[in-house]
Amino acid sequence: MISFSQVTKRYPGGHEALSGVNLAIEQGELVFLTGHSGAGKSTLLKLIAAIERPTSGMVSVSGQNVGRLSHRAVPYLRRNIGLVFQDHKLLFDRSVIENVLLPLDIAGLERREALKRARAVIDKVGLLKREKANPVSLSGGEQQRLCIARALVSRPALLLADEPTGNLDAGYAADIMTMFRDFHQVGTTLLIATHDDRAISALGGRTLRLDHGKVEEVPA
Amino acid sequence: MIGWLRHQKHALSAALRRLRAQALTTVLTALAMGVAISLPSGLYLVLGNLDRLAGGLPAQPEISVFLDAGASTAQQQAIAARLRQPDIVKARFVPRDEALAALSAAQDLADITAGLTENPLPDAWVIRPHTASRDELARVAADLGKLPGVAETHVDSQWADRLQAALAIGHTGVWLLAGLFAIALVAISGNAIRAQVLARRDEILVSRLIGATDRYIRRPFLYLGALQGLLGGLAAGGVLAVAGAILRAPVERLASLYGSAYHLLPPSAIEIAAVLGLTTLFGWLGAWFSVTRALHQVEASR
Repeated sequence: MISFSQVTKRYPGGHEALSGVNLAIEQGELVFLTGHSGAGKSTLLKLIAAIERPTSGMVSVSGQNVGRLSHRAVPYLRRNIGLVFQDHKLLFDRSVIENVLLPLDIAGLERREALKRARAVIDKVGLLKREKANPVSLSGGEQQRLCIARALVSRPALLLADEPTGNLDAGYAADIMTMFRDFHQVGTTLLIATHDDRAISALGGRTLRLDHGKVEEVPA
Repeated sequence: MIGWLRHQKHALSAALRRLRAQALTTVLTALAMGVAISLPSGLYLVLGNLDRLAGGLPAQPEISVFLDAGASTAQQQAIAARLRQPDIVKARFVPRDEALAALSAAQDLADITAGLTENPLPDAWVIRPHTASRDELARVAADLGKLPGVAETHVDSQWADRLQAALAIGHTGVWLLAGLFAIALVAISGNAIRAQVLARRDEILVSRLIGATDRYIRRPFLYLGALQGLLGGLAAGGVLAVAGAILRAPVERLASLYGSAYHLLPPSAIEIAAVLGLTTLFGWLGAWFSVTRALHQVEASR
């Protein structure tokens, strides 16, 4: 589903975040991406979602060469990818349910159907009682769950999560990881960047370690 | 198609929500636009009224030929014969007594004529020449003026011509002003929308990350600009309606002094629709320029 071939990403100023990375992730896999901060985990995720473009090499997602994608085609790629951010990126000028409705509005889904789907996914992350609340009033863990709900509401085949448990205490973090396992079991491909070793050992799955711009497979 | 309509409806309701949420800004922007638009459209209405006033005057030009008091009978007959030529459509002789009687009958002039010891008016012909062109009229008038026994000729269409020429300048001025204020409208709308785009920076960035196209992001702002333009047009209508209400009584009083029952002419439905349509269009245009530019800035500052 995802393949990197000799991918290098150099930022303006000369910092090389990734150098000659090769990797392949199959559909339905659960993959953890570890490494010290600044090792290039976020950059790798950004290349997959076409938020950044590779300096050289080829990034391919579902057969599409993401690095060469036209500006107009990028939104349609992103509609098939759920993004979970460490800082949540929620909109505080609208309620919980309206945050979740945003991807469906963008996709042009009919309102009643959209509401039904949004409620279902909010229920799944355990926020149904707070659907009319402003996200500002939610705890950190709840905000992260809301971000996950927004990423999943359009039923993407691929979910990318960047340090989803980075700011959470152990209890909340375990909750989130359990949720990811459930999504994995229904067939979603997950790529989770984290340095939370407890979560990795609890869930199992393949682990890739990034070190100074290079990727290496961690034996299970 | 249905998805497209749904997007339009969604963007329109989002735009309406934003207008309502910032009612004060909306009203102030609409007023700024309204005042700007009311200047050219007000001038247009004034000219329309003057046109109508000028249009009530005889369109057919006439030449008055005043005879010398001492013209001989032979000279008079020669003049009458000349006026039967085919270049003259109609010729009417106005004897001096009849002219004085007409003058006395006219309002407010009876006092003056009553004080006269003798009739100062000459005999005259009022003729309507075949031609209507100004040069031809001048030639005919000069021709007739050279006949012996003719004291003076006068082309009566002269002041109507001058008024028409002045009105033509006025019309050109209206279009010039309208052009300038259209630019002002685009600028006002662009500025208002720019502030809106920058205030919604987070929403734009997040929407981009979850698959929004530029068109999706731009659409509510375009609706916002168009609606703001429409409100500006309506505000201009309000300004003009108030101005019209204030001017009505003085204009009617002035008209009554001239013995006329002249009323101010309100704009037609087509004219109102045209102004509202144009302000909507220019509001949209300003929003388009602004949002396109601001989106680039938002993208660059990411």
